[in-house]
Amino acid sequence: MRTDRVVIPRPFGGLSAFLWTEFLVQIHEELAMATSMIVQGVLLVFVWVLNPSLIGVALLGAVVFSMFTMGQRVLNEAAYVRIDHKASDLYLASPLTPEAYFLGMSAGVLLVYLPPVVAVAVLAELVVHLTVGVALLLLGVSVAVWISAASIGYVLSTQFRDNRAIWAYSSLFFNVFGVLPPVFYPIGLFPSELRPIVLLMPPSAAAALLQRAIGSATLPAWEVALAAIGLAVEALALFLLAVVWARRTVRSN
Amino acid sequence: MSDEALRSTELRKIYRSKGAPAVTALAGVSMDVRRGERVALLGRNGAGKTTFLRIASTLLRPTSGSIEVFGFDVDRTPEKVRPFIAVVPQEGKPFFHLTPREQVYTYLRARGFGRETARSRTEESLERMGLTEFGDRLSITLSGGQRQRTMVATVIATEAPLLFLDEPTIGMDPFARRGVWDSLRTLTQRGSTILLTTHYLDEADALADRLYIVERGEVLVSGSAEDLKRAVGGTLKVSMPQGAGEIERFRSFGTCVADGAGLTVIVAPERLGELMALAVGSRLTATVGPVTLEEAFLYVVGRSIDAD
Ligand SMILES: Nc1ncnc2c1ncn2[C@@H]1O[C@H](COP(=O)(O)OP(=O)(O)OP(=O)(O)O)[C@@H](O)[C@H]1O
Ligand SMILES: [Mg+2]
Repeated sequence: MRTDRVVIPRPFGGLSAFLWTEFLVQIHEELAMATSMIVQGVLLVFVWVLNPSLIGVALLGAVVFSMFTMGQRVLNEAAYVRIDHKASDLYLASPLTPEAYFLGMSAGVLLVYLPPVVAVAVLAELVVHLTVGVALLLLGVSVAVWISAASIGYVLSTQFRDNRAIWAYSSLFFNVFGVLPPVFYPIGLFPSELRPIVLLMPPSAAAALLQRAIGSATLPAWEVALAAIGLAVEALALFLLAVVWARRTVRSN
Repeated sequence: MSDEALRSTELRKIYRSKGAPAVTALAGVSMDVRRGERVALLGRNGAGKTTFLRIASTLLRPTSGSIEVFGFDVDRTPEKVRPFIAVVPQEGKPFFHLTPREQVYTYLRARGFGRETARSRTEESLERMGLTEFGDRLSITLSGGQRQRTMVATVIATEAPLLFLDEPTIGMDPFARRGVWDSLRTLTQRGSTILLTTHYLDEADALADRLYIVERGEVLVSGSAEDLKRAVGGTLKVSMPQGAGEIERFRSFGTCVADGAGLTVIVAPERLGELMALAVGSRLTATVGPVTLEEAFLYVVGRSIDAD
């Protein structure tokens, strides 16, 4: 057996195989899939009842919110398999790279929970008639929100020793940041002094850009720039943080 | 190129957590495992076995000391070590929503094996662990022992150069355990090296070329099972279920251990006749058997506890 020649795995080595593993793991959770759109559904009904003219905003918001809560799933999944299954020991003491473990898990979760989100996006298209530009923007901000949320989720997951503590925090965190700021309702209804804050939060920044694109919000140029650049920089920075974090936390202290 | 698969020198680990006193889990452990060896780490609960395995398998940082795997420093270059190792973690479980076949196959793929190799290794490994019958059932529907077999199947399928197994046969029936022993023997014949922990001393006896007994983070003794048994002072043991009251009359024969009403005496074969005569004269029922590793363990560790 040759052990004199080390082949250090490439960055992200093992990504597609681990993504596939996580996909198989998730696809069996029919109940979780069935209930994954409940919060969005309820909020859409509220908006429909209270002000049907805002349903386009709410549908796009539902897509953004769904991408954001993928982070909650990553947080719960990463912590659960590490604490209850010791899956991280099995997979990380191996040539599979830690960053592939993080990203593969996140992408596997995404793949399974994406179809209903796509359905909502199609519904949005039917209601609002998205231009190609808006559709591309929707795609772009969705990716950015997902990357941010999955990265936050993975980083947070490493901080817990007990799953029960997480479940409470994670639903609080992801629901509050996804529901309270203007994601399902127009940013114009939000107090203007506080707008810079919500424009720096990935879900509400994404929603604001979409609302502006479909003409449901008017933002000064500097706010557009704040939201767009902020979202892009945050997504990139959080992703890099999660990669570095994943590598560092293979070993505990 | 180093001849050793693993070498640790004065390895220390102190766990520090907020609001709790620091725990010294390893107090300077030096050991070496040669290529192709099967080495067992024995010790009471909390002795430091898992801590050692986790440090060696790049999952935990030591406080001081050094440890190398195939000549690579584990603490400084963990990424060079990882391709060579595979780990069965203590209390690990397969993914509940994968079947054993998927679990093993996807693990091999994640480690970089090609489809063909992964497929044939998966089948071989499932077969070895007696999992063919359950291969396509979700692990959530399997029994505890079947899940543990799935974990072992996952790891042995890698045929990694160095395998760490933390209580690999826990909860397994005697047939399954023997299946694991056979597989591990085959792996070392093919060139792998194995470091395992176990609380089953018959397992250590049957499987390990060498043993390290650890107690409170220190190596108490090391050697083969035979070396250890000899250290007890005899190779035979005489058990007398009602003999505790007569313990003083047997002290001159060797180590005597009273356990409730019973008495066990470790004796060299030359003095067996004399001892049996005394037992019969004292109207005690006595049965003779070989000293097991378990007795050697109780003797060695017990002596160390008494010494404190
Ligand atoms: N994360 C931790 N924080 C603090 N102390 C720890 C931690 N993990 C282990 N310990 C302590 O370190 C010591 C060694 O633990 P370890 O898990 O290595 O024992 P072990 O020999 O594997 O025991 P067992 O046979 O029960 O598995 C014990 O005293 C344990 O309480
Ligand atoms: Mg242990």
